[in-house]
This record gives sequence, C-alpha cells and structure tokens, in this order.
Amino acid sequence: MDRKDFRLLRALGRRDFLAVGGGIVSTALLAACDSRGPKSAEKLLRYAERKNLVVERALFRHTVMDVASARAHDAGNKLPSYFISKTLPVWDESVRGKWALAVGGLVGNPMKLTLEDLQKLPRFSYRINHYCVEGWTAIETWTGCRVSDLARLVRAAPEAQFVDFESFDNGYHESWDLESAVHPQTLIAYALDGRMLEPAWGAPARLFGPVKLGYKNTKFLTRVMFLPKANGGFWSDQGYEWYAGV
Amino acid sequence: MERKRHHWIVRLTHWVNVVAVTIMVGSGFRIFNAYPAFARKGELFCCYPWEGQPIPGWLTFGGWLAGARNWHFAMMWVLVVNGLVYLTFVYLHGEWRELVPRRGHIRDSVQMLKFYTFRRKDHPSQGKHNALQKTAYFMMPVVGLLLVLTGLAIWKPVQLAPLTNLFGGFVWARYWHFLATIALVVLSVIHVFMVFTVDPYSIRAMITGKYDDSLSPEARNARPFQNLGPPRASIRPHTPRPPDSSSAA
Repeated sequence: MDRKDFRLLRALGRRDFLAVGGGIVSTALLAACDSRGPKSAEKLLRYAERKNLVVERALFRHTVMDVASARAHDAGNKLPSYFISKTLPVWDESVRGKWALAVGGLVGNPMKLTLEDLQKLPRFSYRINHYCVEGWTAIETWTGCRVSDLARLVRAAPEAQFVDFESFDNGYHESWDLESAVHPQTLIAYALDGRMLEPAWGAPARLFGPVKLGYKNTKFLTRVMFLPKANGGFWSDQGYEWYAGV
Repeated sequence: MERKRHHWIVRLTHWVNVVAVTIMVGSGFRIFNAYPAFARKGELFCCYPWEGQPIPGWLTFGGWLAGARNWHFAMMWVLVVNGLVYLTFVYLHGEWRELVPRRGHIRDSVQMLKFYTFRRKDHPSQGKHNALQKTAYFMMPVVGLLLVLTGLAIWKPVQLAPLTNLFGGFVWARYWHFLATIALVVLSVIHVFMVFTVDPYSIRAMITGKYDDSLSPEARNARPFQNLGPPRASIRPHTPRPPDSSSAA
C-alpha cells in the first residue's frame, strides 16, 4: 500500500469500514455454503407460511380451471414414477383381498367403494398440468370421479373442512382444505391417458388435482377422511408448505 | 465540502434490499436446482443451453428445496414492501428526476463509455449520477417489477392463469423469471464493482448519508482503479510562500 491508499482508507473512516465489513461478513455467512439459514428464523418462516395461507386461500377460485396448452406434448411414459416405499407398492389381492376405497370421518354414510363402484360415479376426463414442487410440469389426461361427488355420496358434515387422503405407500398421506378438494378438477383418478392406471403411477386409484402441487396428490389411495382439522401430510410435516396451492 | 447525499429512507431501503435480494437469489437458485431445466416432461426446450446443469451449491441458500421455498415465499414480501417504500419515496421526494433517463441520455451514455475506455480524457459532467448509473438504477426497479410479475405467474399458474399466459404459460414464465434474475445479478455485480473501483466514497454516503463532492468521480476524473485517492490539489493546496526573512541570517 502506498500513502495514497492510506489516505483513502482514512477518508472513508473506520466506522464505515466496520459497518461495510460487518454487512459483507454477515451476508456471506447467511448465504454460505448451501446453509439452511439461522435456526431462529424458523419461527419467522412458519409465521410467513401462515400469512401466505390466508393470501393463497383468498386467491383460490372454485371456478378457475387449469387448461393445458393445446400445442404442448403429453408426457406419456416420461411422467416420473414416484413412491416412498423401498419398492413399487402394488396391491396384492391374494394377500390383502379386493381393493376398496374407504371413505369416512365426519360423514353421515361411511362407505367402502370398490374400483367398479368408483367407475359407476359420474366420470370426468381432464387434460391438465401436473405442477411439481421441483419446477417441472407434465401434461396428462386423467380420468376418474370427483371428490365433490364422493363428499355428497357419503354426506360429509359441514364441519368437515379438511380432507385427508391416505395411501398404502408406507403411510404416505396429505391433507387438503375442503375448497381445493371439491374443485371440479380434483379427481379420484383410476385412468391415465385412456388406460387403467398402472402401479407406477398410483394404481388402483390416486388423487389428482391441478390446483395443488404434485406432492399433495396422494397415490395408491386406501382411505379418504373428512376431518374438522388439517392433518398435515408426509411432505408437509417435513417442512414443505402444507397448502401448496397453484 | 460535505453534504447530505441520501435520505435515510433511501439508505435503509438500500440495505434491506441487499439482504432481501441476496436471500431471494440464493433461495431461487436452490429452487431452480431441484429441476435445473425448463422443458416439460416429454419435451425439449428450445432456448436454454444449460438444460440439466445445476448452479453451484455454494451460491444457493436454504439448504434443501423446502427450506429454500420457505425463505423465498417469506422474503418476497420484504422485497415487495421495501421496493414499494423506496419507489413511493423517490416519487414523492422528487428524486426520480435523478434516475429517469431523459433526452440526450444515449449521447451521455456514449460519452461515459468513451471516458471509461480511454477514448475521452476528461470525465463528462454529470448531476447526481452519470448516465450509466442512471441506466442501472432505473433498470433495477424495472427488472424487479418483471421478477415480481413472473414470480406471481409461476407461484399461481392456475389461479392467476391470465398473468401466466401473458408470459407464454408456466414454462416460459419460469424462464423469464430466471432470465430476469440473471439480469438483476449482472446489474448488481457491476454496481458493486463500480462502487469499489470508481467511487468507494459512496459507500459512506449510503451508510451515513454524507458525501464529499470534492471527492466525486467527476472531481477525481476516476475510471475503474484509476485516481481512487483524493485529487492532488485538495490534499496539498498550493499557497504561495511568503518571502522568508529568517533564513537570510
């Protein structure tokens, strides 16, 4: 350093340098090496999520439908297969008996619906987007019955403002707010692109709705519970946003 | 000659912005890394040469996808509120006049570029900011607005579908959100580089508000790394020596 540089340091002043230095160091620490951020921030983040929930529910419109671009390609077999069990969960009839979807909770008429029963309910097909939390999307045509029809069939109580969708995939489940669950495009889907659902994508039946991120859409369904309170979910309990609406 | 250069609202929003943008960009990179490509499943994407290439981990923030998303969706409010406070202030305070490019802006920018590339000897005269600074400081809120709109578009592609479609659908809105981020990062890196190599005195101005005009880049004729120190004349002011009688003995 020559004398000119020393003069420069003096001109800036020691206090300013400390302030700037402190700012740079703390920002660097904060951003360093893929860190999760300060632990104390966790409370603040939870608070933000609760506030976001209010905004997101206010933004939700029952009448807004997802429309997949007509020019876009269908994902077909490129739709990732995903499950949390060690191996692909397959319903083995010889061991577990015939598959049926249990619908219960705060309902007037709890039921067990076989695949044939589900197929007898009004059938809807939508070519819609799958919005994954990872950032990718995939277009598929899903066929099934509406959760809203299911709710009417079992006479869900007005206090049941939440719906929990459970699976036989190692306990995977995700609970939804009722508004999103009874959205017209939220289906108990049993067919994909015109063919009966295969195990790779959640057979015999799975939840599919474009109004929530992919992880909210439980595959390998076993039980639908109408509840007075939210019941978290596999990914929600680990820190992913519970509402996860798109 | 010291005088007040930045109002405390400008200084406060500037540093809040540093923290908010750093966390937004870092967590955004972490979110991007969960699927560092723009194509839909079963498609190819035309316009991104690094499909599938993640951003280095040390540039990311949040630790994992959920952490990064939680930070991103919390800090977005800080960024938006802070930005609105700043924009409202510069509008009401009249400072926008120093930031909005006006007639002759291109000409002035060319002169600044000529000066920085040694094709012009003297620093072009300027107001509070030179033409290139004006461009940068004007572009930042513009890019910021684009980031907020494309961000909303990929946050709620179903509920805010008209907005998402304005950017060409979810895939393209995500792409524009990414490109706008890169633009903001480039602007910020140039900004910090110029602060340290041309006008380090402005750091003090952004903290205490005080600025010495006799040390401005214009007064020092400063280019990057050149004439960083105070101008000679002000260090040793030339005063004619009175005739010295004592030495005669």
